[in-house]
Amino acid sequence: MTNKEHKVLVANRGEIAVRIVRACRKLGLNFVCVYTAEDVESGHVLLAREAGGDKALYRVSSYHDANELLAVADIAGATAIHPGYGFFAEDYRFARRVSRRESKLVFIGPSWRVIRELGDKINTKRLARSLGVPTVPGSDKPIYDEMEAERVARNLYEFQQQQGIEHPVILVKASAGGGGMGIEEVHDIDLFRSVYRRIRNYAARQFKDEGVLIEQRIRDFNHLEVQILAERNCEGVVHFGTRNCSIQSTGLQKRVEVAPGFDSGSVAYRFDADQVLADITMHSLAMAKEVRYDSVGTWEWIVTREGKPYLMEVNTRIQVENGVSAAIARIKGQPGVDIIAEQIRTALGEPLGYTQDDISFSGVGIEYRIIAEDPDNRFTPWVGRIDAFSWKKEDWLSVYTHVPESSAGKPYVIPTEFDPNLALGIVWGENLAQARERGKLFLDNLVLKGANSAGEPLKSNVEFLRRKTEQILLF
Amino acid sequence: MLDISAVLEEIKASPYTELSVRAPHCGLLTFPGDLKPGDPLSGPVGEWKEKPGTLLATLERERNERPISCEEKGELAALNRELDGCFVEAGTEIARYRHFLSREEVLQLILKRALHLFIAPERAKYYFVPAVDIKFKVSGPKAVTVHDGDELFIMSRMKREASLRYSGPEGVIYAVYFIYNQNVDAGAPLIGVCPPDLVPQVEEAVLRVQTEWTERN
Amino acid sequence: MEIEKQVQHLTERLIYIRDIFGDKHNENIRLLVSKMEDYRRREPSLSVRERRAAVLTLEDLFGFVEKKLEAELSPMDMVRIVRHPQRICLRDILENVYDNYTEIGSMGEHSIDPSMVIARAYITRRRGKKTIDQSVMVIGQEKGHGEEFRNGGSVKPWGNAKALHYMKVAETENIPIHTFVFTPGSYPIEDTPGAAQQIAANIYGMSSLKVPVISVISEGGSGGAEAIALADRRIMLSHGYYSVISPEGAAAIEGRLRSGQRASQELVEKCASQMQITARDNLRMGYVDHVIQEPNLGARPYHYEFFRNLRQELLRVTDEVSISVRGLHLFRALRLRSRRKQAIKGLDFEKAYVRWNLPSSAQNRLVNRRHRKFRRLSLHAAPDYTPFSKRLSSLWQEIGWGLYTHFKYDMLQRQQQKVAEYVDEVKSEWTLFFDRILAPWRMLMSKIRGAERKVSVETERQLTELSEWDDNQEQRGGNWVYVSAKARIDRAVTCPNASTHGCLDLWAPDLYGEFAGVCTNCGHHFPMEHQWYLHNVFDQGSIFEFATDVEASNPLGIEEFEVKLAEAKRKTGHKSGCMVFEARINGVRLVVAMLMAAFRGGSVGAAEGEKFIRAAERASRKRFPFLAYVHGTAGIRIQEGTNGLIQMPRCTMAVRRYIDDGGLYIVTYDTNSYAGPVASFLGCSPYQFGIRSANVGFAGPGVITETTGILVPPHYHNVYKALSRGHIQGIWDRREMRFNLYRALLTMGGRNLYYR
Repeated sequence: MTNKEHKVLVANRGEIAVRIVRACRKLGLNFVCVYTAEDVESGHVLLAREAGGDKALYRVSSYHDANELLAVADIAGATAIHPGYGFFAEDYRFARRVSRRESKLVFIGPSWRVIRELGDKINTKRLARSLGVPTVPGSDKPIYDEMEAERVARNLYEFQQQQGIEHPVILVKASAGGGGMGIEEVHDIDLFRSVYRRIRNYAARQFKDEGVLIEQRIRDFNHLEVQILAERNCEGVVHFGTRNCSIQSTGLQKRVEVAPGFDSGSVAYRFDADQVLADITMHSLAMAKEVRYDSVGTWEWIVTREGKPYLMEVNTRIQVENGVSAAIARIKGQPGVDIIAEQIRTALGEPLGYTQDDISFSGVGIEYRIIAEDPDNRFTPWVGRIDAFSWKKEDWLSVYTHVPESSAGKPYVIPTEFDPNLALGIVWGENLAQARERGKLFLDNLVLKGANSAGEPLKSNVEFLRRKTEQILLF
Repeated sequence: MLDISAVLEEIKASPYTELSVRAPHCGLLTFPGDLKPGDPLSGPVGEWKEKPGTLLATLERERNERPISCEEKGELAALNRELDGCFVEAGTEIARYRHFLSREEVLQLILKRALHLFIAPERAKYYFVPAVDIKFKVSGPKAVTVHDGDELFIMSRMKREASLRYSGPEGVIYAVYFIYNQNVDAGAPLIGVCPPDLVPQVEEAVLRVQTEWTERN
Repeated sequence: MEIEKQVQHLTERLIYIRDIFGDKHNENIRLLVSKMEDYRRREPSLSVRERRAAVLTLEDLFGFVEKKLEAELSPMDMVRIVRHPQRICLRDILENVYDNYTEIGSMGEHSIDPSMVIARAYITRRRGKKTIDQSVMVIGQEKGHGEEFRNGGSVKPWGNAKALHYMKVAETENIPIHTFVFTPGSYPIEDTPGAAQQIAANIYGMSSLKVPVISVISEGGSGGAEAIALADRRIMLSHGYYSVISPEGAAAIEGRLRSGQRASQELVEKCASQMQITARDNLRMGYVDHVIQEPNLGARPYHYEFFRNLRQELLRVTDEVSISVRGLHLFRALRLRSRRKQAIKGLDFEKAYVRWNLPSSAQNRLVNRRHRKFRRLSLHAAPDYTPFSKRLSSLWQEIGWGLYTHFKYDMLQRQQQKVAEYVDEVKSEWTLFFDRILAPWRMLMSKIRGAERKVSVETERQLTELSEWDDNQEQRGGNWVYVSAKARIDRAVTCPNASTHGCLDLWAPDLYGEFAGVCTNCGHHFPMEHQWYLHNVFDQGSIFEFATDVEASNPLGIEEFEVKLAEAKRKTGHKSGCMVFEARINGVRLVVAMLMAAFRGGSVGAAEGEKFIRAAERASRKRFPFLAYVHGTAGIRIQEGTNGLIQMPRCTMAVRRYIDDGGLYIVTYDTNSYAGPVASFLGCSPYQFGIRSANVGFAGPGVITETTGILVPPHYHNVYKALSRGHIQGIWDRREMRFNLYRALLTMGGRNLYYR
């Protein structure tokens, strides 16, 4: 089977579904989309109908139900499945099912073993340490013994003091936990034992595993990412540079992403920024090779104010902000890089066709996430109807959205079930100053109007994004 | 004041509702061979409604057959036979049937007009706050009295939860109109509250429905 | 008047005969009927004298026919005799056997449970010239000649609880207990304290009562009977029956009938005789000690001669039990033996030779004897095909363990403990003393050095570099050693709670593989085969099976059962439904008895019981904790009849011995566990846990509705309900069984897992 004969099931919605469909068309591949009753008016549905007709579109009960997706895949004759981000993107069980069921499909993403291996934070940390990749100081395995826990905690406390940290803080986490549950900070080492016991008992009750992790609490850091892409056979592994995702909402959700991760040409840093970027890129590549990574992925890092990088986790999926890295990348000197298309192409077995040396970077990219939300009120999502949505087209600007432009004439009701993202605006500038200027220009010219059922006008984060543009890459 | 006689007459004029049965998910649809329009249908039966109603269709997905049973007593109005043996998308209409209103349902219809309805402010999923939820589970509805300003609901949408306070007259929660884990549209009623001064009227409605409404079998 | 009464009496006898035989022996019944009618017709024309003569002739005829019919009684006829309202009941016995009595806690229908009657009674005897009143506690089911509120002698859980309470009272008062079993079976409801759990408590309690217990069985219906029938001597009335299930119930199972359907009369008759339920059968098999002959066609309240015999027998047996455990009993025992002969000659036992209250040494002997007695029962029904050489070596091993544990735990450890405690004390004193002296010095030192404390290179390495991984404590989350065959089928499975909990369909390979058969959304547990537990709960390769050659058999020779049994053996690769083994869990050793649902529904017969007892004894000998893992049990194996039923007291007594020795006995229920085993050796554990989604109870919903007319709501028996009712002590998730079990062993067993 040549690649052109593949048919890709787009197992997602919204902006990413739109981008996957576009990438498929660019590659000359067939596709099939799914949608739920709530999304009838969504851009991805309109696009799919327009480009593929009714046979490329199936209504399902939920995007979360794997059975629905696979039933559609079979009836539509799909041969590959793109999970996008969210939903099943990092679900190794789904990837495993896809590859083990009787009528098999290509999972466009890493193989399930890789997803599973890197989905486990302890495992990732140990893997990193085994390669000498820096990680947050502390334990790298669950601790079950109270005496040992206390010894680690004391060492960690003294270690921080020695590093000149004035108020050392230790994190105690349930090793089987996640998502903020079962985590407590210890500010006074003499109180460690009581915190430890509380967490241990909580973990035993909640997760039936008394294991506890003890880590340094890092404060004041920048959030950096390294974009990796690898061939299916794990031979060719390249990176598409770094991103800085430090501008976040109060709920620690990313709002503005910038590529590259630091810009030593325009901003003065207290550390050798270029060296840090080189280090984290090198470490990320080394790990990708070690685990035999075979798709796109993102290595997430935190960099302290002193310029110390620590690997946090690996995201085994295409990310929202892949476009900002693509914006500054050139393959063999050519712009217009599409990382999603590259992901699909390689996942279906094509070789990369280029090496790291063929990839170069130019300028600065900024990605804005435009969201109907209230930044003044803990970024509470705003629900209602969008009446007008348009922007001024520029050759340095790309906007990805599933919200139909107001030229379509119909208002769009924001579904309440899903992520509140409306659109991504990616601007490119030759340097940081120009990128900032263009960013502001984009936001200024953006039209986004609507009202909710009570008649109150739409609230969005556009003003917040504008304000934050000034702080981009400052650290 | 609500004119109960008028409402009753109005309902008597059309004593049934027509309900639609839709595919809960995608899959291969098959109908039982002998089912045809006009057939009587039974809803779930048994002391605890533990036995499902008449089998309307089976839907097979990923080699798993799921029976689709009738939810209410009634009479089959239409069956989309042309879908037999076909793959159907989620939400496709499979059949329609007439359900003749029972006393309880008529009463609910009247109550919905008589009671103070507390309206959903936004499209979202609603839950009772745990304290109220427990009361409901232990003592059933009509055991919870609400006051103006009580924290009563958790409103969940866009992955965020917010609490919602009750506003309106003090009274007993007589009816609950939302279903666990399902979206409620803005403007739809969440609960019906019976203030003390309305109790005689509600009692009258109960009595009159009991005496005047005959259920069809 | 006198004659009228006699005629009336004869009429009742006729009704009785017709009731018992129904359509059978018609010619005899017709004869009696016609003679009776004949008499009635002639009566007005007869003189008083003639009437008297005619009635006498009639009585002779009745006697003759009854004797003739007696010889042809079938087992099912006996069942009908026992159930007949004219049959003697407990009240008749209290009136006619004892000299005086006071009913405890009941007055007709005014009682916590009118089907259970308790009375303090006494029997007056002569010693020399003195009269002595000898007290007994009388406990038994009361059928009350068909009184509605007696519920036919079907006792509710609280009735059995009351019985147990007064057994303990009798123990305190040091008086013997006479129990009278007149029950078709227990009333099968789960309301607290629960039919099964209460019967279990009764059997457990009775197994070590320190006073003589004599039981008299008229109608011994299954678990209801066992609740008061565990005794030092069991006497059976000649026309009674003692069975694991009613013949109708057996027929329904045999004929594979659904609830509501009735089995044919022939099938019921056949089952009744196949099940070997009569007094003679049970005497032969050893489950009762004596049989008292009843008058022809069964005892009725006017058979005063029978009550006298019963009284004599009760006196003799109570004497015998009391004497046999006293220290100096040789002479009187001899005397007693000779008296048995005298009794036959018609001499009575009214002369008291024996006191019935026992000194404490005799109490212990009594309990030991009772345990030994039951230990020996039913061995013939559980053939052990272990080769002789193997038996010999295991005998030696057993003796070895016995000596070893005795030395280690009873002698050595006690000494060690004392020494350790002493050393501990000294140490504490010493540290306190040193701290005082050194404190100022330490302060000074830390002041001097304080500032220059440094983290060593080694410590830094520990905090930032890869550490050694040791998987001692690791749970097996998702990485199961054994994966069910159900995980090989590519299909989706719907969770039964989908409509209420919104569970999405699960993919079978995930569900039965990684998820261990648990719905990830609502936690519903799909049934999983027992192999899953064997491999995933215990340490790998730690399982050592024993007593493998004890084989389930067909002791009653039930037709076609041989074939079914062979099929079960072939299918499971086991010779019985109980697998007993030693295993380890995180290094802690324990003995496990597992009932397998795959082998005839996990039913318990003589072989299963015997293996269970051996497991308990092994655990006791080796001082290991003992786990009963019930993968599922449908109850006692009815095809073995009383051979199966007797496992209830037998196994419970083994458990009692083990716990009294200081052992830790834990029970876990999985899938469905019902009836006899739950109502005895499982339900008596103080630590019973249910695997989520399991059902635990006495009788299934169908049986409850059939026998009581009560509709049973869905999930009536599930573990959450059982926990709410107080029947079990906790609910475990299957995936965490290993963790929970290990923790239970540590928290309940303490460090040496042997808590006394």
